[in-house]
Amino acid sequence: MADLEELREAILNGDARRADSLTREAIAQGVEPLALINQSMVPAMDEAGRRFECEEYFVPELLLAARAMKAALEPLRPLLAATGARAAGKVVIGTVKGDLHDIGKNLVASLLEGGGFEVIDLGADVSPQKFIDAVTNSGANIVALSALLTVTMPSMRNTIEALKQAGLRDRVKVMVGGAPVTQQFADQIGADGYSENAPSAVALARRFAGSAA
Amino acid sequence: MRYQLISCEVLFREMCDAVARSPHQVDVVFLSKGLHDLGGKAMRKELQQKIDAVKAGQHDAVLMGYALCGNGLDGLVAREVPIVAPRAHDCIALLMGSRSKHAEFFEANPGTYFRSTGWLERGKSGHQLSMGADLSGTNLDELIEAYGADNGRYLYEEFTRYRANYQQLVYIESGLEPDGRFEEAARDEAAEKGWAFRKISGSLDLFRKLIHGEWPEEEFLLVPPGHRIAASYDELVIRAERDAP
Repeated sequence: MADLEELREAILNGDARRADSLTREAIAQGVEPLALINQSMVPAMDEAGRRFECEEYFVPELLLAARAMKAALEPLRPLLAATGARAAGKVVIGTVKGDLHDIGKNLVASLLEGGGFEVIDLGADVSPQKFIDAVTNSGANIVALSALLTVTMPSMRNTIEALKQAGLRDRVKVMVGGAPVTQQFADQIGADGYSENAPSAVALARRFAGSAA
Repeated sequence: MRYQLISCEVLFREMCDAVARSPHQVDVVFLSKGLHDLGGKAMRKELQQKIDAVKAGQHDAVLMGYALCGNGLDGLVAREVPIVAPRAHDCIALLMGSRSKHAEFFEANPGTYFRSTGWLERGKSGHQLSMGADLSGTNLDELIEAYGADNGRYLYEEFTRYRANYQQLVYIESGLEPDGRFEEAARDEAAEKGWAFRKISGSLDLFRKLIHGEWPEEEFLLVPPGHRIAASYDELVIRAERDAP
């Protein structure tokens, strides 16, 4: 029997190669893809998030865990596609106009992918129109906006306004984050959610995906 | 008048110059640039402690040697002594001499990384503890040693990806430099990262005004006792709000 605990450990330790080979072994032994995801991968990422929140893990450890998670997911993709399993949700993510900071945004994108979401990453300095185009073309149900500067935070408001004017606001949940962003600001600009750090952004997206389904 | 200045060490030389020339008696405390990397909440907590240690009867005002700094000043409360804070989003505006100059520059030159004497000699952070951390000191060998060859290389790529977003490094010259060493260090850093180098003249105006007690409403916020600083997300950057009990 494949060792699900060992896979969990490999992801948690950021050991991408080991995570990949353990997943392949498990598949060869006939372990259900969803069992692997639910019993090893999701718990591993949840634990990585918990360690980050109590400052046992920092950004590097979190990035490495997300990388190992993606490596473990890769061999499962064809199997999941064959069973008709869909992504947890589709997220359009980007750093808002005027802001070039993308480390936090990249981390959230990685963790979302690790969490089973399909992620369309628009990069940094993304105009409201680009968000609108991406939502229109992809049919995404979640939009994630990042800003690291107080001077560019108003771009978040502009992006939400633009989504409204394009008639897309009701089709998507908008989540915002970034070092200077607060819950209060999120409420002020009419975002659906705010998260303080990358792991809780994934939890928030899961809640949105659940409520949209 | 007697003021207490609470300042980020990144502004050390500029503040010291203004303090030395001030008509007022100014006590000074410099805090680690690392506070900036910890994010708004942790920064605010530390700053509030320093503010609370300033007592009425001893000092007439607390001067903040900070801009809004990632909302690190949002929510700070003036209890017994008024607080004076520059209306600016970050210290680049302080070093340039006005937030409109900074805004114009920002608009015309996206993709600019800034350096000043303080950022060069005190600005490097040792560890990537948070998302707001300065990653300019990222070192491949150190990452490989800490995380192994494969993961170390991966982290290095992740932590240096931001470089592609920038085109130039701008050194803001204060005029207080002893010689060309700072400009040279900035030039070297630009070359190492593959960015163009440019030098601009900064201004000491805002430092002088802050420390000399010239606080025009347009440039400085006066927070009376019982009020707190709030980010306003408009032209004036910050406003004072009554601190609800």
